[in-house]
Amino acid sequence: MIEGAAWRRWVFYNIPLILFVFVLLFPFYWMIITTFRPDGELYRPWNAANYMPFWTNNPTLEHIKYLFEETNFARWMLNTMFIAVSSTIISLFCGVLAGYALARLNFPWAGALGTMIFITYLVPQTLLFIPLAEIIRNFELGDTPWSLILTYPTFLIPFCTWLMMGYFKAIPKELEECARIDGASRWKAMVYIIIPCALPGILSAGIIAFTLSWNEFIYALVFLSSPDEKTVPVGVTSELIRGDVFFWGPLMAGALLGSIPVAIVYSFFVEHYVSGLTGSVKG
Amino acid sequence: MAVTAVPGVEVRRPIPRLRRLEDERWLALALLMPTAVLLGLFIAYPFVEGVLLSLSSARVGDPGHFVGLKNFAKIWDDSIFRTAVWNTFWYTGVTTVFKLALGLWLAMLLNRHFKGKALVRAFILLPFIIPTVLSTFAWKWMFDPTFSVINWSLFHLGIITQRINWLGDPDLAMTSIIIVNIWRGVPFFAISLLAGLQTISPELNEAAAIDGARPWARFWHITWPLLLPVTMVVMLFSVIQTFADFQLVYVMTGGGPANATQLFATYAYQLGIGTGLLSEGAAISLAMFPFLFIIVVAQLLYIRRVEVR
Amino acid sequence: MAKAKRRSVLKLAGGTAAVSLGGMAGILATGRTPAYAQQKTVHWLKWVDFVPATDQMFRKELMPQAEKELGIKVNLETVNGNDLQPRTTAAIQSGAGPDLIMAFNNQTYLYANSVVDLSELAEDVGKREGGLFKYARSICSDGKMFMGMPWAVIGGMIAYRKSWLDEVGASSFPDNWEAYRDVGTKLKAKGHPFGQTLGHTFGDAPGFTYPYLWSWGGKEVEADGKTVVINSKETVDSVKFMTGLWKDAMDEGGLAWDDTNNNRAFLSQTISATLNGASIYIETLRKPDQYQTEKGQPMSKDILHAPLPKGPAGQFGFHLLQSQMLMKYSKNQDAAKAFLKWLHTEDHYRKFFESQKGFATPCTAKWENDPLWNVDPVMTPYKVAARLGQAPGYAGPPNAKAAEGLSKYIVTDMYAKAVQGMPPEECVKWAEAELKKIYSE
Repeated sequence: MIEGAAWRRWVFYNIPLILFVFVLLFPFYWMIITTFRPDGELYRPWNAANYMPFWTNNPTLEHIKYLFEETNFARWMLNTMFIAVSSTIISLFCGVLAGYALARLNFPWAGALGTMIFITYLVPQTLLFIPLAEIIRNFELGDTPWSLILTYPTFLIPFCTWLMMGYFKAIPKELEECARIDGASRWKAMVYIIIPCALPGILSAGIIAFTLSWNEFIYALVFLSSPDEKTVPVGVTSELIRGDVFFWGPLMAGALLGSIPVAIVYSFFVEHYVSGLTGSVKG
Repeated sequence: MAVTAVPGVEVRRPIPRLRRLEDERWLALALLMPTAVLLGLFIAYPFVEGVLLSLSSARVGDPGHFVGLKNFAKIWDDSIFRTAVWNTFWYTGVTTVFKLALGLWLAMLLNRHFKGKALVRAFILLPFIIPTVLSTFAWKWMFDPTFSVINWSLFHLGIITQRINWLGDPDLAMTSIIIVNIWRGVPFFAISLLAGLQTISPELNEAAAIDGARPWARFWHITWPLLLPVTMVVMLFSVIQTFADFQLVYVMTGGGPANATQLFATYAYQLGIGTGLLSEGAAISLAMFPFLFIIVVAQLLYIRRVEVR
Repeated sequence: MAKAKRRSVLKLAGGTAAVSLGGMAGILATGRTPAYAQQKTVHWLKWVDFVPATDQMFRKELMPQAEKELGIKVNLETVNGNDLQPRTTAAIQSGAGPDLIMAFNNQTYLYANSVVDLSELAEDVGKREGGLFKYARSICSDGKMFMGMPWAVIGGMIAYRKSWLDEVGASSFPDNWEAYRDVGTKLKAKGHPFGQTLGHTFGDAPGFTYPYLWSWGGKEVEADGKTVVINSKETVDSVKFMTGLWKDAMDEGGLAWDDTNNNRAFLSQTISATLNGASIYIETLRKPDQYQTEKGQPMSKDILHAPLPKGPAGQFGFHLLQSQMLMKYSKNQDAAKAFLKWLHTEDHYRKFFESQKGFATPCTAKWENDPLWNVDPVMTPYKVAARLGQAPGYAGPPNAKAAEGLSKYIVTDMYAKAVQGMPPEECVKWAEAELKKIYSE
C-alpha cells in the first residue's frame, strides 16, 4: 500500500476509523454504563445540571444480579445457544448440498430452482408466522426448541445456499476431474475434495446463520410459551418491560450479556469469516 | 471409522444406489432433497396459505370466504397504505445508499495492516450481532426527548441551542429510524466489502499509481469495477431485509407519529394482528412481494451481466 | 329476572349433582377427590404485571393454592402487553395454545368467534359483588354472550405535582379544558409543561384522545354503529383547541412518546402532570430515596391524582380494561372455567386486589367501598375508574369496527396531524374518510 506522511495517514485513515469505531460502538458503551448505573441516576433529564451521560460514580452490580436471580436469564442463554447452533447446522447441511448441486451439476431446471430457493427468502415473516403456527401444532412441536430449530432454516437455507453457490463456482472444475480420473466417485469427490476446499465459505455462512437465529424475535415469541423455553430476546422483553415501566438496568444488562457469546465467536473467526466471504465473492 | 468403511464396502460390491449417484441428475436430486423438504414444508405451504388468506375475507377465528382481489382494491384506496409504500421506498433507498457508501469507506479503512486489526474488525461487527430488539431499546433511550444523550452532546458541542425532538417530528422520526438501520447495517457491508477488497491484488493499484493515476481515478477504474459483483450481492440481501423491516420500527415508533414511519411490515402487522383483519394483513404483506420481486430480479440480472463481463 | 332465576336454580341443581357425584367417585377413588385422578393443566397467558409483587404472589401463593384445591396444574405465562395479540392470533388460527388469555379493551370483540361464553360466571360474580359496571359489561358482552370475564380496569388519571401547581396558584387540578390550558401555560413558562403522548401506543394515547373528543361532544359514530359523524363542529373545535393547547401547555416531545416515556419524564421532574395509571406514584413509593423533589422531599408526597378535565359535553374517561377469555379450542374448558371461577372467589381475588395497591380497579361495585381505597388518599380517585369508563366506538357499540379504529390510531392521529401543522378541518376530514372505510362494510 502506498502511504504518505504521518499526518496524511492520520487525516485519511486513523481519524475516520476512530470516528467509525466510536459511532458504531457508542450504543454499547451506553448499554454498559446503563447496566452499571444505579437507578437513582437514571431519571435525570438531558438538560439537568447533574446529568452525567458518560460516567457514573456509584457503579452497581444490582442489575446483573437481578437479571440472574429474578429472571431465567441463564436458562434463556442456553436455549438460544442450543437453538442457534442446531438450526445453523441444519441450514449448513442443506445449504452446502444444495449449493453444490446448483453450482456444479448439470441438470434440467437448475437455474429456475436456484431462483426459486432465492425467492423463498423474499416471503415476509409477518405473513408466514400464522400459517406456520398451524404446522407447528400439527407436528406437535409447540413450546419445544424444535419449533424454532426447524423453522429458522426457512430463512437461513436460501442465504446459505446462495453463499455456497458462489463459493463452489469459484473452485476449479479440474480439481474434481482429477479426483474422478483417479477413480473416486462423484459423491466421494464432493465429500473429500470439494467440500473441504469450501470450508472457509461454510464457516462464513455458518456465522451469519448463527447470528440471524440468535436475533430472531417473532417466531420465538409465537411458538414458545413456557418461561423456561424462551430465547434471550423474547425472555428479556417479556420480563423486563412491565406495563409502562422499563427495567432499564437489567434490560441493558440482558442485551449486553446476550450478545457476548456471539461476539466471542466472531472475534475468533472474523479473519476466517472475511477470507471465507472472499472466496465466495470471487466466483 | 466410517471413512475407512465406506470405500471398503464399495470395492466389494458396488451398491446400485451409489452408482445411481454417478448420474448428475440423480445426485442433484439427492442433494436438493433436504432443502426441498424443509422449504416445501415450512415455506411453500404457509406461502400458499398466505396467498389464499389474502384472497379471502378471513378475520381471526373466522375463515371467511373467497372474495377475489377485493382486499387489494381496498388497500390500494387506503391512504395509510400509500404512505407506508412511500415510506418503505424512501427508507430502503436512503439506508441502502448510506450503508453502501459508509460500508465501503470503512472497508477501505480496514483493508490495511495496523495494530489491533483483528480486534477492531471483530468489534465493529457488534451492531450486527446484538439482537435487534434489544439494541433498538438502547437507541430509543438515546433518542428519548427527555433524556437524549445525543441532544446533550450536540448542545454541549454548541451545535444546537434547544432540544431536537427526534422521534416526535415526522421527518426526524424517519431520520432516526434510518440512522439506526444504517448503524445496524454498516458493519455487515463493511466486512463483506472488505472480503471483496482482499481479492483485488495490490499490484493492480500500484501499477496504476506508477502510471500516474490519482487515488480517485484508481478507485473508480480499478477497485470499484472489481468490487461490483460482491457489492451487488450484499446490496441484494440488504435491500430484501430492509424492505421487509419490522422489529426496528415496531419498537422505535410503532409506525407513529401519525403514520410518519409506517412501513409495509408494520402496517401489515397492525392490520393483521392488531385489528384481526388477517386477510388484509396478508394482502399488504403480499403487496410487498411484486415490488421486492422487481427490485431483486433487476439486481440479479445485473449481477449476472457483471459476472459474465 | 325470571331468566336469571331459572339459571341460578339450574346451577344450584347442577352443583348438588356434582357434589354428590364427586362424593361417590371420591369414595371409590380411595378417598381422593376425582380431580386428582386425571390432573389437567390450565395454561393462563396474561400480561407481565406492572406491579412485580402481583406476579410473584401469583407464582408463589395463589397458583400453588389453586393447584392444591382444584387438583389441576396451572401454567402461568406472562408476556409484555404488546405481545399478547400476536400470541392470541396464532393460537386461534392454529387451534392450540393457552386455555385462558388476557384481552385488553374491546379486543374481546375481535376474538368473539373463538371464545366460550362466560355469561354465567360474569353474572354470578356481578350479582354477588353488587353489580357489574356498565363499562365492563359493554366491553365484555355483546348482549348475547360474555366474550371475556371482566378482570380489572387499569385506571387512567392525571398524576400531578401538587407543589408546582400551587406555585402558579392552582390549589386543585383544573377541572375544565380552558383552566387546564391556563395552568399548563403558566407551568410551561416555568419549565414544567404538562406531558401527554400522541404517539402510536396502546395505553396512554387513546386514553387521552378519546375522552378528550367525547368531552367536546365529538363522537366517531351514531348509536346505530353505522353513521360516521366525526366531522362535526364539536370535533373541529376540539382539534383547534388541541393545537393551541399543545403549543402553549404541553411538552412537545410527546408526539413520540410511548406508554413509558411520560412516566420517565414525570419521574425526572420534567413534566408537571400526565395522564397515566398509578404506576408513577407506585414507583415513587417503591423507591423513595431515588425519586425526590428539588427540595429534597420524597416525590411521592408531592403527587396527587385527578380525573381528566370537563369539556362542553361533560367529563369522560377511557381506561384499560382487562378481561380473561376462555378459548374455544381449549381441551380443558371445564378445568379452566373452574380455575377462573376460583380466581374470582372473593378471598382469592382479594389477594390480587391488595397486591395491586389500587393500580387495578375491580369491575364490580362492591370493591369501590373497600377499605383499601382509604389506606392511601392519593389512590382514592382510582376507585371510580371502572364506574366512569366509556368504551371506544361511542356512541355505537365497542365492536370489532370500533376496535379497528382504535388499533389504527385514527382519533389519536387526527390530533397528532393537527399538532404537526395540518389544518384542523383537513385532519377531521381525513379521520372521517378513514372511519367511513371501516364502518361502510
